[in-house]
Amino acid sequence: MKPLNYAILIHMTTVEEACPEDVMEALKGDYSTFKAFNKRDILTALMTAEANGLLEESRFDLDEGGNVRLYFRANAQGAATIKRYIRV
Amino acid sequence: MERTAEIEMPAGMGNSPPGLAAKAALSSSFKKRGIAVAIMSGASYGMYTAFITLAMTMGVWSVWYGDNSGLSDFSKLFLLGALGAAITDTCSALWAVLITIYKGKLSDFFRCIATKPGAILVGAAVIGGPLASTSYVLGLQSAGSIIVPISALCPAIGTILSRIMFKQQLTRRILLGIFICFVASAMIGSTGLAADAPPNLFLGLMFGFLAAFGWGLEGCVGGYATSMIDPEIGITIRQMTSGLSNLIILVPLFAFFGGADTLTMLGTAFTDSVAMPWFLVAGFCAYFAFMLWYKGNAMCGTALGMSCNGAFSFWGPFFSWIVLGLAFNIPGYALSPIAWLAAVVMVIGIFIIAVNPLALFSKKGDAA
Repeated sequence: MKPLNYAILIHMTTVEEACPEDVMEALKGDYSTFKAFNKRDILTALMTAEANGLLEESRFDLDEGGNVRLYFRANAQGAATIKRYIRV
Repeated sequence: MERTAEIEMPAGMGNSPPGLAAKAALSSSFKKRGIAVAIMSGASYGMYTAFITLAMTMGVWSVWYGDNSGLSDFSKLFLLGALGAAITDTCSALWAVLITIYKGKLSDFFRCIATKPGAILVGAAVIGGPLASTSYVLGLQSAGSIIVPISALCPAIGTILSRIMFKQQLTRRILLGIFICFVASAMIGSTGLAADAPPNLFLGLMFGFLAAFGWGLEGCVGGYATSMIDPEIGITIRQMTSGLSNLIILVPLFAFFGGADTLTMLGTAFTDSVAMPWFLVAGFCAYFAFMLWYKGNAMCGTALGMSCNGAFSFWGPFFSWIVLGLAFNIPGYALSPIAWLAAVVMVIGIFIIAVNPLALFSKKGDAA
């Protein structure tokens, strides 16, 4: 089992794009009991990865509650870096 | 802080004006939070400096630094300095483990430590902890307080290293802001220059640059690793590495050269009921200083993160004045007027790194 932050980044290398809700849906089997497994912390992890060039923002929309929902993707360079540092 | 901007819009209308505004607010709030985190890291570092200085005036430490302690001049300077840093880092590591357990991240800590980013953080902790800190002390001893502004070059070095290693942004505006912050640190450091008679200036400058390089490298590498590792886990790795390497390597090494008994001194220091509570407070502040430093660098980039953190050259004297000067009435900690002026200069420098002033003017123009 990988640390939660690693699992988030690895997941991003396996999908076209994902928002925090998508990541939570994909990882809930192993990580739903973690205190950090919440939308706010996962969004912070994704935005921090974006600030460091590991991910990029692909698009955004508004959810049913009118909240901004950001989608991220790992481009080729970002995915290669993630795989280089975190062995998949 | 809740990171969602609530507006009443049907799902999917991301490109509508309210959607764009909410998106801009979310991005802006992330950057502002990063800057706040980085500034808090510098303030926490200032508090850590004040409380470690206070702890090292109390209990057995006042005896050790006294004329009849039986310790050599070498031991008083190097051994006691390393011992104080080792105890603070160990206390800080203890806080880090407790907070990690409370937040349910201990299992992730063990999972991270054996990975590549974990090993990078261990290396960064050794470089920035025992090596850079010792170089700083050696530099101060050899060349005097000119080392303070020299060591304040660490944001510039960190930014250049981040450009080379991680392709982070480096513009002339950012370089100008870093230079202004460096000038501000030099203004604070200059207050002690006249009293110094550097016995070995060149060697001291070399140690000063080594400290700046060590901290610059740690900030840049540690910040990048924190984009993969949770900052609370990262700082637990950092403080455990730094505390243990100080305790197991540096303190015995200096004790050997100073002719002191390592185990007896460690036992005496850790069981000193007068000074230890203040070391625990210093360790608590150190935990936040380094955790927020890594987190701030990861959230807003090395240049901005390290420049905001670099304000510790103001916060250190400021909190020493508050804690030692005002609260404990220890003379010699009053803040000079130039330090206040330097703080203003530093804020200008940080502002120039964070915001392009031309963009502000163009926004006003658009609005008009």
